[in-house]
Amino acid sequence: MVDLRAAGGPGESADTAAPVKGRGVRGGRFANVLIVVGATILTVVTLAAIFAPLLANWGPEEIDPAANLAAPGGSHLLGTDSNGMDIWSRLLYAGRLDLGIAVAAVALAVVVGTIVGLVAGYLGGWVDDVLMRLVDIFQAFPTFILALAVAALLGNGTVNLIITIALVNAPAYARLVRAEARSVRELPFIDASVTSGSSTFGVLWRHVLPNSLTPVRVIAPLNCGWAMLTLAGLSFLGLGVSIPTAEWGAMISLGNPDVVAGRWWTSVPPGLFLLICVLGFSLLGEGLQERADAKRR
Amino acid sequence: MRILRFVGRRLLQLIPVLLGVVVLTFLLVRVLPGDPIRTILGPNATEEDAAAARERFGLDQPMWKQFLDYLGGLVTGDFGTSIQSGGSVTAEVAVRIGPTLELVVFSVSLALVVAVVLGIWSARRADRVGDHSIRIFALIGNSMPEFWLGLVLILVGYSVLGWFPAPSGRVDPDTNLTPITGADLVDAVLTANWPAFGSAAAHLALPVATLAIVIVAPLLRSVRASALEVLHSEAYVAAGAHGLRPRTLLRGYLTRATMVRVPSLAALVFGTAIGSTVLVEYVYSWQGFGQWALRGLLYRDYPVVQASVVIIALAYVLVFLIADVVHAILDPRVKI
Repeated sequence: MVDLRAAGGPGESADTAAPVKGRGVRGGRFANVLIVVGATILTVVTLAAIFAPLLANWGPEEIDPAANLAAPGGSHLLGTDSNGMDIWSRLLYAGRLDLGIAVAAVALAVVVGTIVGLVAGYLGGWVDDVLMRLVDIFQAFPTFILALAVAALLGNGTVNLIITIALVNAPAYARLVRAEARSVRELPFIDASVTSGSSTFGVLWRHVLPNSLTPVRVIAPLNCGWAMLTLAGLSFLGLGVSIPTAEWGAMISLGNPDVVAGRWWTSVPPGLFLLICVLGFSLLGEGLQERADAKRR
Repeated sequence: MRILRFVGRRLLQLIPVLLGVVVLTFLLVRVLPGDPIRTILGPNATEEDAAAARERFGLDQPMWKQFLDYLGGLVTGDFGTSIQSGGSVTAEVAVRIGPTLELVVFSVSLALVVAVVLGIWSARRADRVGDHSIRIFALIGNSMPEFWLGLVLILVGYSVLGWFPAPSGRVDPDTNLTPITGADLVDAVLTANWPAFGSAAAHLALPVATLAIVIVAPLLRSVRASALEVLHSEAYVAAGAHGLRPRTLLRGYLTRATMVRVPSLAALVFGTAIGSTVLVEYVYSWQGFGQWALRGLLYRDYPVVQASVVIIALAYVLVFLIADVVHAILDPRVKI
């Protein structure tokens, strides 16, 4: 029960798995276009976030007392919000937090999920049963709902957000890696390694782990995009970063009341930045997936 | 008969998972910091007031006693008393679930129809311009924050164009709609209240559009993938080689075979929809289940949190079960 948005959907691979003459080349070229565009978007956004102090003319939480809800123009490129903070500057600084939390959370989820999946898949027996029942409980919820509950219970803060998003995503990785580890376990070279006296840890680390990571590599970038959406969603509901930290979801939330009054600049630009950034991850993930499918053929 | 056995076996497998959910939420909500009593009493309450309130909600009992009481209530469908409102949680759920179901059912149905039509159209033009634009559209939809999309639709549909009502409330109160199910559109039909029907439909349009756009993107990708799979299958190629008419091919061989995948996709999408509904309800001030559960979580209202978590988990796993059964009925190849 993986979230469809998170994992790119089942049967995606069916697309290029079918043996059709001539499609390989064109499909491959499309995959390369996707990867290049995705990587470009992500590079630009990352650079903008890193060099935010050079590109922004205001601080991320600096208040301009003379300009409250000022329309775009003048010294405020994209106007100001209801606190008198500059939207354009906050947009740039927010990228640091959004990208940082999303990537850190997915990295943590991959590590934890992989360890659980490896141990469960390789050892089998009661260890497998116990771990997988736990995974079942986690996956009895739509992922965003689970994130909502965990975030509400843990409370605000960057570290808690990373833990929340990692915890919600880890079960999917555990399941993926477990399936791979189970099939790798049956291969003759594992038997050979065990017979020649390798320890369980040695076999897991040197042989099973590297051979079980293929699906993880494809899913992880897609998952980063999803993590950003989750983070922004939590912040939008007031369960993410604390106000007035510059974060895209929190900025959209702050601009929420302005929308009814027709003031677009407080909430539309942060959402657009978020969309473009997530799209970068999606394009990259889609391209990697298509390429992986083409190779398997 | 085999189907019944299959359903029975799956239901049995659900019991440990749901029991785990019940135990975990019960424990986590109490172990982690946050006190519902303090939030309802305010900062000026004395220690005696707090103790009295705790006793009223049975929170002074030992943990195991509280848990047994909770389990006993669950069996009879009683979720306890809300600490925040003092009302029966079961009654509050009954009021809140109609508006949310209305939103989710309309959006998921709309998204399914659009996804099947566009997905098959796209697959038949694989790797051509039309196909690529649909795929890009799906990728963009898949990357869009639903709450932001909701705000953009409000900005355009209400603030700028003024075509849709303000994002507050679900029906114009002047239409005097009698609530029956809680789903306003259905209530309007049941009571033959046509002004209310129009008002409810107008209020429903933007939230449904928001949710449907977000859901349609991942669905579209999956439908396209499975349609491509069918197009390249031996059965389809053979049928084409026999010289069947294009219409027969499209309807009987492509659409039907692709539709087999739809139930399981709908189940997956249902989960995405529940998550997104919380955000969409918040944006449109839609007084549904999601808003209620969210407030319960924020105020650490134990009975409300427990009830909403258990109900969502139950609904989610049951939808998957139903999808599997429908799939088994549609597809004779499935062995159950």
